[in-house]
Amino acid sequence: MNETNHNGWQEDVAAYMLGALEPERAAELERHLDDCERCRAEVRWLMPALNALPQSVERQQAPPQLRERLMAEVCAEAAPAESERAGAGGLLQRAGAWLRGLGSGPMGLRPVAGIVAAVLVVAAVAGYAIEGGIGGGDEGGSTETVVSGKPPGVTAKMVTKDGGESGTLHLANVQQLHDERVLQAWVQREGEVEPVRALFVPDDEGHASTAIADMEGVEVVMVTTEPRGGSEAPTSSPIVTMPIPQS
Amino acid sequence: MNVERDRAERLADEELMPLIGTKDPEAFAVFYDRHGGVAYSLAYRIVGEKTAAEDVTQEAFISIWRSGARFDRARGSVRSWMLSIVRNRAIDTLRSRAGKAPKLTFDDEAALEQRPAEERTEEEALQHETARELRGAVGSLPSEQAKVIELAYFGGFSQSEIAAMLGVPLGTVKGRMRLGMEKIRGELAEGLA
Repeated sequence: MNETNHNGWQEDVAAYMLGALEPERAAELERHLDDCERCRAEVRWLMPALNALPQSVERQQAPPQLRERLMAEVCAEAAPAESERAGAGGLLQRAGAWLRGLGSGPMGLRPVAGIVAAVLVVAAVAGYAIEGGIGGGDEGGSTETVVSGKPPGVTAKMVTKDGGESGTLHLANVQQLHDERVLQAWVQREGEVEPVRALFVPDDEGHASTAIADMEGVEVVMVTTEPRGGSEAPTSSPIVTMPIPQS
Repeated sequence: MNVERDRAERLADEELMPLIGTKDPEAFAVFYDRHGGVAYSLAYRIVGEKTAAEDVTQEAFISIWRSGARFDRARGSVRSWMLSIVRNRAIDTLRSRAGKAPKLTFDDEAALEQRPAEERTEEEALQHETARELRGAVGSLPSEQAKVIELAYFGGFSQSEIAAMLGVPLGTVKGRMRLGMEKIRGELAEGLA
């Protein structure tokens, strides 16, 4: 190897590592590195200096919403694969589709995807416990129960009537609310999330119920805690989410 | 089956990457919680604006989520790999801002002294000892060396562009970059000694 040429390349190593070499020159240097142990040693020697640059910057607090959005996208992509692995089939796949729909929706709904996704992770890991016919005899409709999280997590029961056109959502084990917050239900139809206008609160024993007047086409029901007066889009993690089987 | 949070937290970055490659959200969450702060800080340092920094960080981490299995441990640490992805995306963002001036001001010889006061007061500004030490190493550079390194690494400028900006020969820029990097390396080596 020509020593003069080598020195020329070595002069460029720092610029190369800093990303400051023009693309053609960088490509030439990379080819030179393949054959030059001295230059590779130079790269190895300077690598800690390069690594120090990004880690020396003033630390900023990353916004919490950033994590929520990231996890929403990640969980939306993970849900179908996990449901296939767990054999859960349609319910989680539908819920995953819901998340993807939310994620591509209007900005106002972006945080929702993260919120719901977090619940899906719980569901995927812990497994959904969906049972039919539990305590549904009083109103004569069909029921589904989903357990959110580990016992004694919130349980939800949907009692439908009028051939499934309307229903009542019953919750149990709901923690007492603070700061003038209320419970609000949400329904999803064809990938679109809609608020249920009637707001509700738990009683002293942690029971809470709300009527859902229009259940036609509802694919998923979830409940969040919201500020008094309710919200146009969920602002907190769902305390329960319930995929509704389609007839 | 996804890994549980407690177990994921005990894993090294290099052990998390294969799990992320299998689309494990919990492993990814732990990875983000470890490195999201420094990634966002780097993005903000380069693009100089919170919304853009969020976008850069989000894009970088999503790309890692989708390509985690491609990490090659022979090429360095996971953290360095991740930060290089963040840096490249941030520089792309800078370059795509047609007509917008980069955050750095290069027409002022005292550019590096114009940093906000909180940046100059290490004890107030830095939350982590490691960052403080690294910053000390970078901050110990003569200003002309620091300037070319900052313009290259944080500004995304080529050595030719930097030479034109500063009105100095290309060889001078090369030399300052090399001397500056070697000085940082020397400071780090001293710190370890």
